This record gives sequence, structure tokens and C-alpha cells, in this order.
Amino acid sequence: MTYRLGVDIGGTFTDFALLGEGPRPVGVHKCLTTPADPAEAVLTGAGELLARHGLDFAALAGLVHGTTLITNATIERRGARTGLLVTRGFRDVLDIGKEQRYDLFDLRLRFPPPIVPRELRREVDERIGYDGRIEQPLDLAAALAAVGALVEQEGVEALAVGLLHSYANDTHERQLGEAVRSAFPGLHVTLSAEVCPFMREFERWTTATVNAYTQPLVDRYLARLEQGLRGRGFAGAFSVMTASGGMATTDMARRFPARLIESGPAAGALMSARHARALVRPWVLGFDMGGTTAKGALIVDGVPLVRHEIEVARVHAFKKGSGLPVRIPVIDMIEIGSGGGGIATVDGRGVLRVGPLSAGADPGPACYGRGGEWPTLTDANLLLGYLDPGFFLGGRMRLAVDRAAAAIERGVAAPLGLAATRAAWGIHETVNQDVARAFRVHAAEHAFDYRRAAMVAYGGCGPIHALRIARKLKLPEVIFPASAGVMSAFGLLASPLRYELLRTDRVLLAELDAEAYERRFQALEARILQVLEDAGAASTELAWQRRLSMRYRGQGYEIEVPLPADLPARETLARLPDLFAERYRAVFSFSFLEQPLEIVHWLAAATGPEPPLTVVRAPLPKPGAGTPPAAKGERQAYAPETSGFVTHAVYDRYTLRPGERIGGPALVEENESTCLLGRRAEAVVDEAGNLIVRQATDGAIA
Amino acid sequence: MNGAYDPVELGILWDRVVSIADEIVTALIATSFSTMVRESGDLSCMLFDARGKSLAQGAYSVPSFTGTGPPTMQHMLRRFPPETLEPGDVLITNDPWMGTGHLYDINVMRPVFHRGRLVAFTLSVTHLPDIGGAGYATTARDVFEEGLWIPIAKLMRAGRINDELMEIVLGNVRLPDMVRGDIMANVTCNEVGGRLIGEFMDECGLADLSALSDQIILTTEQAMRQALRRMPAGTYRNAFDVEGVDGAVRYAVAATLDGGSIAFDFTGTDPIVNRGINVPFCYTSAFCNYAVKALTIPQLPNNEGAARPIALSAPPGCLLNAERPAPTGGRHVMGHFVAPLIFGALAQAIPGEVQADSGMLSQLNCTGRNRQGQPIASLFFASGGFGALAGIDGRDACPGPSNMIGTPIEVWESETSMRVLHKEIVADSGGAGAWRGGNGQRIKQRNDTGHPLAIACFAARDRFPPQGVDGGRPGGLRQFLLNDQPIDPKGRYVLAPGGTIETLEAGGGGAGDPRARAVELVLADVRAGLVSPAAARRDYGVEIDPATGRAWRR
Repeated sequence: MTYRLGVDIGGTFTDFALLGEGPRPVGVHKCLTTPADPAEAVLTGAGELLARHGLDFAALAGLVHGTTLITNATIERRGARTGLLVTRGFRDVLDIGKEQRYDLFDLRLRFPPPIVPRELRREVDERIGYDGRIEQPLDLAAALAAVGALVEQEGVEALAVGLLHSYANDTHERQLGEAVRSAFPGLHVTLSAEVCPFMREFERWTTATVNAYTQPLVDRYLARLEQGLRGRGFAGAFSVMTASGGMATTDMARRFPARLIESGPAAGALMSARHARALVRPWVLGFDMGGTTAKGALIVDGVPLVRHEIEVARVHAFKKGSGLPVRIPVIDMIEIGSGGGGIATVDGRGVLRVGPLSAGADPGPACYGRGGEWPTLTDANLLLGYLDPGFFLGGRMRLAVDRAAAAIERGVAAPLGLAATRAAWGIHETVNQDVARAFRVHAAEHAFDYRRAAMVAYGGCGPIHALRIARKLKLPEVIFPASAGVMSAFGLLASPLRYELLRTDRVLLAELDAEAYERRFQALEARILQVLEDAGAASTELAWQRRLSMRYRGQGYEIEVPLPADLPARETLARLPDLFAERYRAVFSFSFLEQPLEIVHWLAAATGPEPPLTVVRAPLPKPGAGTPPAAKGERQAYAPETSGFVTHAVYDRYTLRPGERIGGPALVEENESTCLLGRRAEAVVDEAGNLIVRQATDGAIA
Repeated sequence: MNGAYDPVELGILWDRVVSIADEIVTALIATSFSTMVRESGDLSCMLFDARGKSLAQGAYSVPSFTGTGPPTMQHMLRRFPPETLEPGDVLITNDPWMGTGHLYDINVMRPVFHRGRLVAFTLSVTHLPDIGGAGYATTARDVFEEGLWIPIAKLMRAGRINDELMEIVLGNVRLPDMVRGDIMANVTCNEVGGRLIGEFMDECGLADLSALSDQIILTTEQAMRQALRRMPAGTYRNAFDVEGVDGAVRYAVAATLDGGSIAFDFTGTDPIVNRGINVPFCYTSAFCNYAVKALTIPQLPNNEGAARPIALSAPPGCLLNAERPAPTGGRHVMGHFVAPLIFGALAQAIPGEVQADSGMLSQLNCTGRNRQGQPIASLFFASGGFGALAGIDGRDACPGPSNMIGTPIEVWESETSMRVLHKEIVADSGGAGAWRGGNGQRIKQRNDTGHPLAIACFAARDRFPPQGVDGGRPGGLRQFLLNDQPIDPKGRYVLAPGGTIETLEAGGGGAGDPRARAVELVLADVRAGLVSPAAARRDYGVEIDPATGRAWRR
């Protein structure tokens, strides 16, 4: 019998999911993250979980893990001393940035400092033209001398190389890379065209610096973890989740740590996709709400949407432009805002606002009784009766209703002149609206019609809010998967090996023949194949996808057009104008321009076989007969349509049987989360233990 | 409470209308064709209720247009009253006095009908790549030389393009494809806006936006009045010189704070000049609104309420109230100075809360052909240093008061075939102070297009440096060089193939006494090469031992 272990290292908790050969999980586990050395919590927690099931590390065939290590290292500036080589004349690109204030009226704007300080940047003599032509040869000797000075006098551990137009021709970057690697074997080197061959120097170079900056850290961390695992008898495959939802080997992770940013949340989106496929829902909104943040993902035909830029280390959580742009393929997760710890305040307009500040785990919401004084979303949910003060985390933690009430009174109700219940409902409803708004904006940008979609809701707080948000979006159906609280750790076990590349290469569609088209994709695919084969994948097992980013000539932003698989190049080219027009119309309502079409980015991806996994709660009770199950009790909870409290039946999720039906108003509790069913909702337990809920979707603001 | 909605509902609905305005901006940028719009962000998008009151603007919008937009809306409604509008109509104009102060911006407005009723308007404004005439420059002697005038007119009637109007416009411009593309991007983004407003009203069960807009506007107005009441009442004056064409132009303002309102009188400002740098009143007004909002309620979303407490007057015919047919092509070069003029006056009322002068933007309008022979008309924006403010250094190379974005070098070179030789921060150009002014930058380009390139320059701060506040020192001056020879930063030149143009952008002023700046901050600047050791000694009184890296104040 062999086992696989998923480990999701979050900011507060490290989650574990253990799978055997069967489709059902053997066990789950949660322990506190150890920020100083995250490997410690992984090794200890994994050991505990294995021991509980009478197993040891030798029983593991594989271990997959997701981590926020890179994000946190970038935010907290715990990376290596890093140098940067740039084309002469452009040392200040990182400081000058976009030359834009992200807030028009705020005269006290702050920006995140560049990863590489100005004194650690050196200029090299060389120049590539915008067309890829070498206009000035590289002075390699002088460049090596500059690197020597950085290493010897400044003590840099890592080096990023960013040359102008290297996305069009990376010859000089490669020459520099080879020479520096052989002259300074201990130095970690990142080439900008290797990390992201993308036009726009500020973004590409920033990405390269983040990669270089985190390389030594990731290298040491992985080495420590691998050593610890081997020392405990682990002999299986150890892999890491990337931001785009693919698995990477530790070697890939060491080369491209920037690609691991946000890998934990990506796993949750991936699991939503898995549910979308298992339940055959073509359009799915994945909605994850935990203790500190809420995130969303759009899933089309069982695949999460991917984008190519993320901002890290933002000065203002929700202000675009206040962070460092990193260009990597990443599952398109919307930062929706607050989780249960989101703090409610009265803003400058005298209206209620929740977040972006979070009480986190320490001190936590006021009701935790750990010294938190601010009113949070969790306090509101407790006051509204949605949470049971005696059954939080399955009863492992007691919540103080009086503290929650006092905090809401002091922080929100009194300043706004509202009754405490109205204030608590206001906090709850503001978050619902924030989430619905974020989904709407995001869906519009991607031409995603959410009214045809189902929502998969998970995370500690998601199931309380899901149905009300779904109603605002006119979403007919919400799915609460079994074991929603540790869904990300399962997601890690659900991800196949994957690598993708994007390359900027502008060409007019009219000037492209089938052969040139095919050649471009094949060159990209050869690079992908090499990375994956190095990682141990068999080329016969890979599934390939191609996409093009296109626009009307003269525009500056592109629309991504997925290309039909297995269509010969000539026919694909012939169909491209229609494929593009269709996408354009979907996003912008219009497409009437008779401008020539231009291809800007070429995207290719390869995915390995999907690991077998069906998430089923074990053991599942015998099927019920379409009848309501027995309630474990009832409690008063707030119902907005009556502006008062009404009786909600309370069910124990662990005793529900397939086929049983529950009508709202009701609360369904499991250890890590509570599902709230409103008056007009009806839930059915499916064969896999998921709660499938349908509700009437008419109705206005409340 | 100011109306029908309680604070919870108001917050929810208010955020939603702002996010609709943001989405309009997103659609505009994504579909536009010129670098001015999609790279430099020379645009604004706004939302109005059925009475034409401004309700929200996209967070990314430039201050000039958000100020001129509301009056533009009123002019449009006077010309085409609501009963003459039908679904699918789109109105445009580029009139400098009713629009944005010059002919080069197109204002595109679309009425929003919902369930058969007129419920809102959306307005987008962008800088066009060309509008004919002698081309975008400061060199015209009257407005007729500056290009084609488009009255307030229907570009679309009930969803059908007004072909004759489009033909007139496209027949008068040098880059018809790009101009059509940008105009249609404006049409598209307003279409998207209309769709979103309809969805919003359906979902929230709103038949009308008036009650919501009244409450948003009143809440904003009250917040601004409250902030103004905290400033001591009185009249505060400021005057300074700005580089004109044949010498300095005197600017003067008297700002009167009185119980929650503020009035500006620009009497004493010099008359208009015989070149395209005169400023229509709508543009002056926009920067009054911007300056007051930044000093009072920067964190609130912008709408009509933020303009209500502000009154202004300027003698007709003065540079800040230029009348038809004065040429106004470069009105922004002069008009941006309204913000520091007001800041300087109010610094007397609220010392320590006002920013030092910024180095401001410069702009090169480059027209010619790229290496492939395609016509180009592209703006190159570059920022000087941002002015310091007690508690925060001015950012190096950062736009202010306007907010145009610098074009990435790789994009610029690909579009134009120009070759940028360097783009670097100039040490010591930021004014010294307890809080240092932002440094300016130096950018040199060579004409590698293989064709002559016409370059029209739009810049100031080449004679009068940005001033510091509270004892902070002035920033460095701006300078433009053509083939290494100084030129007029408001001139128009032809750059031969192989020739170079270099711009040195002005630094921002400092805030507070430089000798009060923390020694470790001075040391960090010296290490980074942003302040030279000589300047550290001269301006800050800080000595640094190069051998040990130790720093101390003399």
C-alpha cells in the first residue's frame, strides 16, 4: 500500500491531507505553521498524521506541497542580497517604475521599494534593438568584472540579468548567464527572458529580481526539507505546486521560485475545478473564504482561468499599482477581500467598511477572547446566530458572544447610530456585496456569464456566505463539497505536472503562413518539453494546449484566444479572425473594426496525467430516501427578510446520507465550517457527500 | 444620515457605481489604439445621473478631465436636451471651451436608457493622436490653426454611426485609422458602461439613480465643507512667475476660506499670450477642484459634491481665462500651475500639510514615420520629481499634479523606432529638505527612424525652479537639448535622422530644513547615489567617511 501526502503551508496553519490507493482520504491534519522554518511544521505534522494511522514516511510514494514562502519573503524582505545587471543607461528602471500615482488625490503615496537597491545594480555595454537585431555587441569582460565586484565587495548571493528587448533576442542574456555561472558557480543567476520573455522592461526585470531574490531561500528551504524527509525514511517523489496549478519538481522550483507565488490558494481553485469536472458543471465560481482573506476563481469547462501577472507586496491591499508586478502564469484568483478576521470600521464617508485590515489569528476576532478589540466579520456572524459559540472548530474553541457584541456596539453600531443587530447584519451583508461585486467585475473582464454558473464554496467562512452571494449574482446552484475546510491540501494531490511558457513575438496575421506559425509554437513546445522531461515526465503522457494573445493592430492590450486542439495549422489560421471576433464581442459588446489582426503573445502549455482522486468523506452512511434527516437541534439566527431572528434547524453534516433533503432556514455544521441555508434554499446530499443547494434567485438588495 | 439609504446600503451602492466607472476605464484602455490612451493613460471616464450630476469617476482618470467633464456634460445637455436623446445616441465634441481646454481631446457621451427611461449618462474623454491643423504644439497663433473643431454633435443616432461626421473627422486627420480606432474605443467603453448600469439597477431593484446620487453628492459635499471649516478663515494670497513665450507670465490668486466654502480670485494674473499656451476657464477650474480635494478629502471618491464648496473667478482675457479664438494647444503646460499656485496660498492656512512644488511633466509630440514607413504620432511623457511633504520624501520621477504614465522603453522603441540612449535619475536634482524633493530624470533619444521627425515640446520649469516649503530648498531646473544644444521647451523642431533630443526633468522641492534631515536618511541617499557626497555636506551638513561609511552631522 502506498500513500500520497498533500501539505498546504498557510500563514497561520499548515494543513495535511493523506491519500491511500483508494479514492478516499485516509486522514486530515492541521497544525500551526512555524514561520522561522516552515520545514519544521511540515516534518512534525506529517509525522503526527502518519503515526496516527500507524504509518511511517517510507509508506509515502509522493509528497506535494504548496507554500506562501515566496510571497511572504518578498513582503517581509527576507530574501538574499541580490544584484542586477542591466543595459547601460537603464539602471533606474526599477525606481522610475511606471511613472504613475496609483491614487490621484493622495499626496502621501508610498510605493514598495525595488527588490534590488540602486547601489547593487550595474550597467553593461550591449544593445539589442526592438526587432531583435544586435546593435551593439556585449562587452562580456567588463560585465564579468562588474559581477565580480558585486560578489566580492557587496556580497551578493543572487544575480538577476535584465537587458532591453531580451524577449525578442536573448543572446546577450544567455551569454552573460553562461559566463557568470561558470565564473561564479555559487551565485544564483536569473535571466529575465528565461523567467518571462515578455515586452515591458519594468515588469520583466522586476519579475527577474523577485526570482533571483528568493532563489537562495527556496534552495536552502527545499534542501532542508528534502534532507529531513530522507532522514525519516521518505523515498518518494517530492514536488511543489506552482501558482498556475501545476506540479513542479524541486529542481524546477529552485530555478523558477517566482512561479510558486500564491501556490496554496491555487490548490483550492484546482480542487474547485476537479469538482466542476466530477459534477459536470461547465461554468463554476470557486469561492474560498478563510480567516484572513477571501478569494475567487473562475472555472470554464473544468479548467481554472489563468493570467500572466500578479502584484505582490502591495502597500495598499486593494489598490492596483501599489505592489510589485510579477509576470508569471498564475491561476486567476480574485482578491475579494476580507475573511472572518476582516475588521469593520466606519470610513471617511461615514459608511460601513469591512477590511482590508484583518485581526488574523492573533489577537483574532473579539469573540476569540484573546485580546482582540475590533469588531470582525466572525463577531458579526456569531451575533447573528450563524455560528454556534460552543461548536467552533467542532467545539475545540469557545467563542464569547458578549465580547463580540461589545466590539460591534463600540466600533460600528454606536458611531453609525444603528442597533447592534442591524450593525452586525450590515457587516455580514457588506462582505456579501463586496464579494459579489468583485466576482461581477472579474467575470465581466473574462466574458464569463455567472448566471449560468454553479458556485463551489469552501474555506472556514465560505459556506456561511455562499448562498446570499449566489443570490446577488443570480447563480442558481451552490455546492458545498465534503471536507471543505482542508480543500486546498486535497487540491495539491489533484494537480498534474505542468509547465507553460509565454513569448512575445508580434506578427500580423496576414503576414503569417502555416509553416512560420507552426515553427513558433514548436520552438516554445521544445523548451517546455525539455523542462518537463528534466522533471521526469514522459513525452507521450503530456497533453498540449496552445493559445494566442491577439488584438487589432494598433491596440495595446490583447485578448486571449484558445486554439482548437488537433486542428491543422492552415485551418487554425483561417479560423482565427472568427475566433478572435467572437471573443472580442463577448468582452466588449462590439467588434466592427476592419483593422488588421496582430498576434502578440504565443502561449503553450503541457500537462501531465492527472493523479486519481475522488474526494469522498469516509465512511459514508447508507443512502437516505429523499427524506429530511433528523436535526441535531435548532437555534435562533437572523433572517433579513423578517428583519429579525427565526428558528433555524441545525444538522450534523457527518450523519447526512446521500439522497437526504434539507429545506431552509437551516444550518449544517461540520468541524471546520457551517453551511447557512436561507428560507428559499433546498439542499440535497449527493453520492459523494456534497451538499448541492438550489435557491430562488429573484429579489433585490437584501 | 443624508437621505434614503442607511450607511450600509449607501456604502454598498456607492462602491458599486465607482466600480462601474472603473470598468469603463478598463474597457477603454483595452480597446484603444493610441499610446496616449493605452500607455500614457491620457483619459477619464465618468458617470452622471439623469439630471447630469456627476456621480462617480474611474479611479484611474487624469485630474484635468475629471474637472472639465461635468461642465462638458451640462453643455451637451443644453445643446441636446434629454427629450431629444434616444437609446443608442452618442454625442461628441472637442470644443476647447466646452470640453477640455484644447482641440486635441475628444469628449464622448452616451445617454443610458433602462426599461425605456433615461436614467444616466456616461462620458469618456481621451487625447486623440491627431486632429489636423498644424498639429499638436504650442506654436499656433489662433485656435483655427490648431485643427478641426467638432461642435457638440451626434456621432451616433439610435445606434447608427453618423457617417458624414465621421468622414469629416477622418478626412481632416493624418492618422485616420488610429483616430477612428480611438473614437470607437470611446463608443465601446460607454456601451459597456450602459450595459453595466442597467445590470446594476436590475440587481438592486433601482428604478432611478437620483436618490442615490443626491445622497452620494451631499455626503461628499458635507465632508469637504467640514474639512474646509477646520482651516482658519481668511484670505490667503500667492503669486509667482511661470515661463511664457517671450518672458515670464505672472500668476496671482487670492483664496478666501469662509465657513466651509472656498473662493479663488485670479485677478492679477497676466493677459493671454500670442501662442498656444492659453488656458480656458474650464481647465483652470479643473485644477482648482483637484487641489482642494487633494488637501481636504483625498480618500473620498470624486463626484459633484467635491466641486460644490468651490467658487472661482478670473478676469476674462487673463491667461487663466482665455477666450475664443485664443490658441490653447499647450494649455496644460500653463494650467497645471494652478495646483501649486493654490497649494502655495493654502500653505499659509495649513502650514505643514501642503506639498512642495513638483517638477511636473514634460511631453514630446513626435510625428513622422517609423523605420517600417508607417506614420506615427506619439506622445512621450516624462516626469520630474514629486514635491516633498512633511513626513514623506517626494518620489523620484513621479507625475504631479497630472498623472500621465511614462511609456515603457521597449514599447516606445517598438512603436516609433526611436532609440532611447539612457533614462536615468539625476542625483541632487531633488530639493534638499528634512524631507527630500523627488529627483528628476535625464532621457536621451536618437532618431533611428530613418525619416525626419517633427517634435513639439510641452514643458516649463526651465527658468523658475520648483519651490520648497517650510525651509525646504528648490528642485533643479528642466532643460531640453537638441543635438546637445539647448532649445525652448515649448518649441517645435525637426529632428534629422541620427539627431538626438535630450530632456532633463526638473526635481521636486524639499520640505523643511535640510539640516533637520536624519543623518541615516542622508547616508542612504548617498549610498544609493541619489544625493552626492558634496551635496550631503553643502545642503545637509552631513560628512561621510568614504573609507568607513560612517556619517555624522557637522
